[in-house]
Amino acid sequence: MSALATLTALSLKLNFRNRMAILYGYLFPLVFLLAFWALYRNDPVPLALHIGQLLTITVLGGACFGLPTTIVAERERGVWRRYRLLPARSWVFITSVLAARLVLLVTAVLLQLALGFAFGMPWPAHAGALAVGFLFTAFAFMGLGMTIAMLVDNVPAVQALGQCIFLPMLILGGVAVQLESLPLWVQHLSVFFPGRYAVEVLQRSFTGAGLGGSGFDLLALALIGLAGAIAAAGMFRWDRSFSPNKAWLAVAFGMWLVVGAAAELRGQVTVVGLADAQPVGTPRDYAPAAKAVTADWHAITEADFDTIAFDRLPADQGIVAPVSRSDAVPDPAIVPLLDRIRDGLPNWAPGNVADPIQRARNLLAVAAVPDILEMEQVERFVPRLVFARLQTVIPPQDLPKILYWIAMHPDAGDDGAIHQLGVLGLPDVSGATRPVHARIMVYAFKLLGRLTGRIPPV
Amino acid sequence: MTAALTVCGLTHRYGAVNAVDGISFEIAAGEVFGLLGPNGAGKTTTLESILGLVRPDAGRIAVEGDADPARMRAKIGAVLQATGLPDKITPREALTVFGAFYPAPLDPQILLGRFGLVEKADAAFDTLSGGQKQRLALALAFVGNPRLLLLDEPTTGLDPQMRREVQDRIAAVREEGRAVLLATHDMAEAERLCDRIAVIAQGRVLATGAPRDLIAASGAATLEEMILAQTARA
Repeated sequence: MSALATLTALSLKLNFRNRMAILYGYLFPLVFLLAFWALYRNDPVPLALHIGQLLTITVLGGACFGLPTTIVAERERGVWRRYRLLPARSWVFITSVLAARLVLLVTAVLLQLALGFAFGMPWPAHAGALAVGFLFTAFAFMGLGMTIAMLVDNVPAVQALGQCIFLPMLILGGVAVQLESLPLWVQHLSVFFPGRYAVEVLQRSFTGAGLGGSGFDLLALALIGLAGAIAAAGMFRWDRSFSPNKAWLAVAFGMWLVVGAAAELRGQVTVVGLADAQPVGTPRDYAPAAKAVTADWHAITEADFDTIAFDRLPADQGIVAPVSRSDAVPDPAIVPLLDRIRDGLPNWAPGNVADPIQRARNLLAVAAVPDILEMEQVERFVPRLVFARLQTVIPPQDLPKILYWIAMHPDAGDDGAIHQLGVLGLPDVSGATRPVHARIMVYAFKLLGRLTGRIPPV
Repeated sequence: MTAALTVCGLTHRYGAVNAVDGISFEIAAGEVFGLLGPNGAGKTTTLESILGLVRPDAGRIAVEGDADPARMRAKIGAVLQATGLPDKITPREALTVFGAFYPAPLDPQILLGRFGLVEKADAAFDTLSGGQKQRLALALAFVGNPRLLLLDEPTTGLDPQMRREVQDRIAAVREEGRAVLLATHDMAEAERLCDRIAVIAQGRVLATGAPRDLIAASGAATLEEMILAQTARA
């Protein structure tokens, strides 16, 4: 085994013998996950909409506290001075420390994800993108961690400086508190913290369009990490008795300003609150005068359709159950996912079951789940694919009746299809399904309105 | 014949203070060379310059004629003050990991036996006594089978028996044709082990020669008296 591999293995082994390192590296991320779960336990889908924040906190803690604490503690005790006597270049030692830290971060994140899955969190929509986003996040924060390690002389100073960076980033940087909950001026401030970019990349990988649309965020993380690495290299010292040239800090933190300024110039800094994300309601909210629906959907008539107040449905341009305009062009970044869904639907088993009611419900779930997961643009384009597929697999004279029956019985039927969305490139929702039922109801009403001419085509 | 170690015009300043001020000496293979002088004389800075821990402001350093820092370090084994190891590393792990950096390392088990660490081979570093830690530092200095040993007060903290064993080991190193640069305050140790010594004070070499010759030339009765007289004049 090479010296680098030997030293990396030793670093890992020593870390696992250190109770405090285990506590901070593994237990704290799980405690954070439990806290988020408790805080957002009423979410439609457990944890999925907060996983970007959670993973960012984990990487931030490991890279900005764990990494510099280890380095500074060893340097204080003369360990690095002893390493320096060995016949190897400096990069061997630095690489071993960073490689060991990366392994620790990966395992901490995997552990956190595993517990999240146990709570019913869906699988990530784009696992590969999540891995890429994680690596960029780790790079950015390890660059920052190395800068801290080279700047300060002792472990208490690491804790103090780390908190000075950690807490503002958590509270003001869009990490612990979601952007839409922050005042607009704080949202503008948040672009000057790297945490925001990490959260956006990771969240988009989990419930969004993957790396599509994340180009600027990835670039921001790469530049911040690179600037941190350059500053750390400029201040590098084996021995605490040497004073670092603090002018290098201008490189590390100057890049935060540059990236923030670039984000402001690009626009799209502020996030509109979820004002129109009101509860979807029940069938009676949309069809107050409807008579009791019989068990046989064949008995449904045009008169039943007249009882529906289609104008009460959430607007197609809103956040709840959106539908794209027919002439809208999707972002090229999400086109592959939309293609995969369109091409996958004909062979998707739940979309071909014998019972036409269940078949239609299953297909409507394909539209409902991206909406529940707030999958940005994806959620408004998928309904059109689903509507087209429904019109292909259900006879035209039956489809309005079936849609009406489903809309009036949102909690009936089997939910197995919701757990089989992975083949279409969508997250499998394994948690609470009632919110999905409500979105199925709204989409059933919306398509019914279009089919019967009660909602004008757009 | 190429010297095991060449130090020529070595100068190192800390701000306005000349910690090392133009020191020059050579050590031949199979020679034990002592650096003696009061605290702050420049002994440790000289050793740290040779090892690349501090960057000299002037001067030339070469090991067996080679001035490349990494290649020099591959030929040097060192025990310095104010160095440490991770709390939870064991002596066996330390010897194995450090040995991985050298082309022909010595067997950790042999070194554990040679330095009386067999019983503590798998104990965490932070559970070792001061003497055991010092013995491990010595064992680590030998792990790369070095051509040159740099030892900064290597027997500090050792009990008399282990001190004698370490001194015997240094003498054996000389017999094997390796060179030793020994910084020490222990006059008896210097007289017993050193073929030549350099007396240094305020960063300068005041006298160089065999201990017995320097004592005789100065008219002092002992090595300690000779050094006190030399440094008082400086």
